[in-house]
Amino acid sequence: MNTLVQRFSTTGPAAEIRKAKEVLGEEDDVVDVMGFGNLASGVPKFSIPGVPDPSAFLKMHTDDFADPSCRIKIKHGTTTLAFRFKGGVIVAVDSRATAGSYIASGTVKKVIEINPYLLGTMAGGAADCQYWETYLGIQCRLHELRNRERISVAAASKYLSNLVYSYKGMGLSMGTMICGWDKTGPAVYYVDSDGTRLKGDVFSVGSGSTFAYGVLDQGYHWDLSDEEAQELGRRSIYAAGHRDAFSGNTINLYHVKEDGWKFIGNYDVSKMHYDGPDGRGGYGYDLRVEGKSSANPPSSA
Amino acid sequence: MSIMQYNGGSVIAMVGKDCVAIASDLRLGVQSLSITSDFEKVFPVTDRLFIGLPGLATDVTTLREQFRYRVNMYTIKEEREIEPQTFAQLVSSTLYERRFGPYFIEPVIAGMQKTPAGGYAPFIAATDLIGCLNFAKDFVVAGTASEKLFGVAEGLWEPDMEAEDLFETISQTLLNAVDRDAFSGWGAVVHLITKDQVITRKLKGRMD
Amino acid sequence: MASASVYRGAGFDFSNTVRNSFLEQRGVPLPKATSTGTTIVGCLFKDGIVLGADTRATEGPIVADKNCEKIHFISDNIRCCGAGTAADTEFTTALIASNMEMHALSTGRKPRVVTAMTMLKQMLYRYQGHIGAALVLGGVDATGPQLFTIHPHGSTDKLPYVTMGSGSLAAMAVFEAGWKPDMERQEALDLVTAAISAGIFNDLGSGSNVDACVITADRTEMLRNFVKPNERVEKERRYVFRRGTTAYKSEQIRSLVVEETVTRTGEAMDTS
Repeated sequence: MNTLVQRFSTTGPAAEIRKAKEVLGEEDDVVDVMGFGNLASGVPKFSIPGVPDPSAFLKMHTDDFADPSCRIKIKHGTTTLAFRFKGGVIVAVDSRATAGSYIASGTVKKVIEINPYLLGTMAGGAADCQYWETYLGIQCRLHELRNRERISVAAASKYLSNLVYSYKGMGLSMGTMICGWDKTGPAVYYVDSDGTRLKGDVFSVGSGSTFAYGVLDQGYHWDLSDEEAQELGRRSIYAAGHRDAFSGNTINLYHVKEDGWKFIGNYDVSKMHYDGPDGRGGYGYDLRVEGKSSANPPSSA
Repeated sequence: MSIMQYNGGSVIAMVGKDCVAIASDLRLGVQSLSITSDFEKVFPVTDRLFIGLPGLATDVTTLREQFRYRVNMYTIKEEREIEPQTFAQLVSSTLYERRFGPYFIEPVIAGMQKTPAGGYAPFIAATDLIGCLNFAKDFVVAGTASEKLFGVAEGLWEPDMEAEDLFETISQTLLNAVDRDAFSGWGAVVHLITKDQVITRKLKGRMD
Repeated sequence: MASASVYRGAGFDFSNTVRNSFLEQRGVPLPKATSTGTTIVGCLFKDGIVLGADTRATEGPIVADKNCEKIHFISDNIRCCGAGTAADTEFTTALIASNMEMHALSTGRKPRVVTAMTMLKQMLYRYQGHIGAALVLGGVDATGPQLFTIHPHGSTDKLPYVTMGSGSLAAMAVFEAGWKPDMERQEALDLVTAAISAGIFNDLGSGSNVDACVITADRTEMLRNFVKPNERVEKERRYVFRRGTTAYKSEQIRSLVVEETVTRTGEAMDTS
């Protein structure tokens, strides 16, 4: 009954969506394309719970920080980074998913391969990012077919930003970086579920972002070589995985160049700590002071 | 977030054949920020008796000193070393004294108890934060990874393990449990207690 | 700590309560203590009392202890089953047991069950339910067999058959169906076992084994793990790790065996 009322009312979220559809000029009768159900028609239809405030309702059942006994625990906690340099874009992420204090997975793919030239990163709600960035992939392909040229990173990120903005206040949670190479060269855009969209050189998102920024800012400059840039990305995510309880397990590293993105590798954070990427010395701070500090004196002393 | 998870950390104790082992992780954090990887939560009480104190770090330090004081007073008054069973009762009453304003600690006790025949028998115990004793015959766990520890230990523990086998079992139980807990880990330490020696080993654990 | 003095007053210490209630105000939930989501029962028969209890202790959804003891000693002829906050039942019964011994010593008489009941209810009433102990008290004294229940707020009941704890409904169903006056010892013991088993199998807060205690005028028989309906089957595989599986960074061995070698120095004393 409530959904019925909402469908024909002129205020409330459902009406907003209807209005947004009119603005975008999307057809209502385009349904079920590529298994995306009723979502292919530009702005999708979601059934909204019949409560006055849908996002408060969602929060009540999913906010495990305020109430550890809540029924639905959304997986969160992440470190992701992306930066632009002479040789393209480096995208590096960790692979840990936590639900409360429980490490639900250590093998999450947090880089979403939108198409061969575009990458999206995942922070916040895993489902939200995965779903909408895949959806963005569909729209980017449609753009290619319609305009006979690849979508620019600016346009793709703006599409996503406008999309999530139409859901503002309804409980979407995503902090993402849309990275790629277009006519303008390497590009990185930060987009989040508040509707923020920023163009920039260096971004890091997630609970471990402060640790990643620390290493990143210290080592970043435009003229980095490819190897140096990859090492910086790896080293930054390691730092976050080390210090942040909600980040870690493995690092996934991508490099976007003119001819599209390339997956560089998957690196175990603990292995980076003890051995490093090439086995020639780990990143670990304690290994560097072993036998040299007063807490751990040299064996001769 | 619960105050028990503020600093993180976990402890486990297991019984073997004529030996006991007690182990803890080494992480000290402030919520999600990991601060140091040399915060031991297991402390010696007598030669053959150890106590593990997982919980709020400020109370770990306070209670350690409190127990040291009370054990010293006992030793002076009684002119003998405290036995594990007696110490467990001391821990229990110390915590129950603060029934209505508890320390946020769930102690784990492990040691070798003197038998009337003159030998030593393995002893382990754990209490909740207000001192309810749990004397187990197999293993006891506490801390932020306790649920995971329960699960792994229930699967891996078996009766009458030799000291070196017990070391492998307790180490693997702890390491694998803390790898699924965001607030525990960053290395581990194991104390293996037999009637005539104590072996302490620092384990190589995941550092993330 | 009130002071560093060796001599300290009896009773509870409230010095942490300010800190803890501050934390609670800040929205940090205070952790849960072990509770015994329990089935405990008592029943009167021809010659005395049979008490029964399960052996599961829980911490939220976790089984903290699979074989704990819930039938507590009060005196030779009185026992008390405890449900509720585990630490509270443990310490409350221990305190009353101590006071009962003192009372028996000062009066020179065998202690009575009503005495223990009164002490318990007065103490629990004083704490207004903050001490979460729900008890089944039973024994045989000069006035014959006695059976009581004591609730956390201090109210008491005197009945021929009683149940308490989360499994009390399951157990009471068995009692209501099967209890009759002047039962034989074996009959009563079987009934109590059936009542506790009903709790073990039908109440998720109760489990593991049946503890029982038969108190008659001339003796008290504690039947620890009287029935064990939940024995764990032997593992089909062993999971011992090969020695050397666990990598360690350092090792320190502390020998507790005092080794002494006597080294003779200088010339032997001239004893000629």
